[in-house]
This record gives sequence, structure tokens and C-alpha cells, in this order.
Amino acid sequence: MASIEEPPIEAKPPPESYEPGSEADFERLYRNSYRRILGTLITLVRDRATAEDCAQETYERAFRHWKEWRPEASAEAWLHRIAINVAISDRRHQSLRQAGELVRRLGRPAPGPDPSAVAERSDLFRAIRKLPAKQAAALVLRHYHGYSNREIAAALGVPEQTVASRLAAARQHLQAVLGRR
Amino acid sequence: MSDIERDLEEELHRVLDPISAMPIPPRRRAGSRTAARTVLGGAGAALTIKLLTGVAVAAAAVTVAGAATTGSINPAVWGQQVSQHVADCKAKLADGQHGIGDCVSDFANQHGQAVASDARHHGAGTGTTNGHGNNPNANDHAKNKNRGRSTQGKGASSQQDPTDPPIHATVTASPQP
Repeated sequence: MASIEEPPIEAKPPPESYEPGSEADFERLYRNSYRRILGTLITLVRDRATAEDCAQETYERAFRHWKEWRPEASAEAWLHRIAINVAISDRRHQSLRQAGELVRRLGRPAPGPDPSAVAERSDLFRAIRKLPAKQAAALVLRHYHGYSNREIAAALGVPEQTVASRLAAARQHLQAVLGRR
Repeated sequence: MSDIERDLEEELHRVLDPISAMPIPPRRRAGSRTAARTVLGGAGAALTIKLLTGVAVAAAAVTVAGAATTGSINPAVWGQQVSQHVADCKAKLADGQHGIGDCVSDFANQHGQAVASDARHHGAGTGTTNGHGNNPNANDHAKNKNRGRSTQGKGASSQQDPTDPPIHATVTASPQP
């Protein structure tokens, strides 16, 4: 059981200090958090290319409000909140984006082997992607990034009880879909 | 921890850890793809689709109208043909007969059918409508021919210029006894 309690690789790092409005600090935040933000987004949107697009959109939005960020809050939790909103917005516009994605891919050479293709073949991942975005986000923040319910609540700006409800609903749905206990 | 939670964590790490090991791309600067996003994403995509649909509909309408108007009907040529044909019909009546309505109507009816067929051939799908709308003379002639025969209004129509729609309409509405 002890091994289960250990934080996973790439779990949330110890908080770093950033100065709001500093471009150098924002670049450092980008380097420190990009992979985890991308990991969250990959579980929320339909493929890696879209997740990368959403990740960049997340940092663009964050940079526009970087001066307004207050160091009292976790910068990465703030980024996660923005990323989840971006993912929800992406889901809403998914059908329209498909047309644009097709146009963009027409100009690209065939991509090489993609590690994220594993996600496309995973039943569990497919089931997570069909969850409501906020449930899926809570699941990933809890079970991949190692956030507590309280931290997730702070990141998403919702009551802790809401996070617990979302996690329970998500697990119940996955159990029903995958037939696991 | 339940089985589903354990499976969940294992699966998340199995899938996401290799992705986390990949190099971090340079951060995209704001505005670097604004134009593309405007066209391809979000509300821009919706607007683009609407614009393209509008252009396609307008192009189709212009094609139909053009086919019906310029491809099938030339008013100048048609007017000359009618004048010539009226003169021919009058010439045939030189022996004392009266009324050239049937003679002119036959010509107009043939022309109307040709125009309608031409419009359908151009893919309008509303060839009959175009024929009626763009060549009122021909179609009025065709109608008046039948009506004139049934109401004995031939005498009145023979006194009118067959190319003048209002007069034909009047004849059709209230035929002379």
C-alpha cells in the first residue's frame, strides 16, 4: 500500500515562486507545467494534436492575464482551470474544429509514430473522454497529478463537495462502461 | 483504493507518462495564428461556412437567372421575330379574312415550349417558372390561345399587339363577346 500512496512521476511539483507580469517567469512556468497541462488535456479532448492546440491556447489566455495572477494561488492550479475551460470550449466546437483540422493536415507530411496513439486504443481512455469534461478533469487531477480534493476544488473554483460528487459520478460511469469493480 | 481507481491510475500513467517525456515545444505567442483561427475555428468557422454557403447559393441563382435570361431569351431577337411573324400572318389574311390571333399564338406557343425546355436543360429545375417569369409573352400566348378558343375571344386578340402583355392579360380576364 505504501507504494500506492507515493506521488507518481510528474506529480505536482513543490510550488515555485513567480512574479506576476514577468515574461521570464511566465516562460519558466510554461517549462515547468506544460507536460502536466498537456497530460490533463489529452484526457479531455479527442486526440493529442487537439490537446497540444488547447495547451497553447491555455498559455495564450494565461499570458493575457498574467499580470492579474496573484501569487497566493497556485499558478499551476490556475493554469489547470484555464485549460479545463479551453477543453470544454473545444468540445463545444468540436464539429467545426474537425473541418479546420482537416484543412491543416492536408498541408502536413504524414506524422511518425505517435506515443499518444496508445490513448486512442485504450478503452479506459475512450471512456474518460466521453465523460463530461469537468468530471474527467477531476479524475485526472486526482488520479494522475495527485491533487487532493481540496486542491482540485481550489483549482476549479468549486466547493470540495462538488469535486467529490464529480469523482464519484465519474468512477461510477467508468465502472458501468468497463464492467469493473 | 478500489480496483477501478487502481486501474485508472495505472492506465493514466501508462498512456500519459510517455507523452510527458516528449520535448516541450516553444510557446506560441499570442496572435501568431490569429488569422488561421479566425477562419478555421470557433465562431470564425461558423461565419466562414455561412459565407461560403451564401456565395454558393448566390452563384447558383446567378447561373439559373443567366441561363433563363440570356441563354434562352433574347428580347431583341424575340421582338424582331414576332414583328416578322405578325407581318407574315397579316399577309396570309390578304384575301379578306380577319384575325391573326391563332397564327401568332401558334408561333408564340412554339417559342414558349422551346424556352421552357431550354431552361430545364440548363439545370434550373424551375424551367416552367422561368419560362413564365421571363417570357410572359410566350406563355400568355399559350394560355390565351386556349382561353381564346374556349371563350370566343379571338376577335379581340386579333386587334392587339401580341407582344404587349397587359393587353393580353385584359383579354384573358374579360374576353370580348
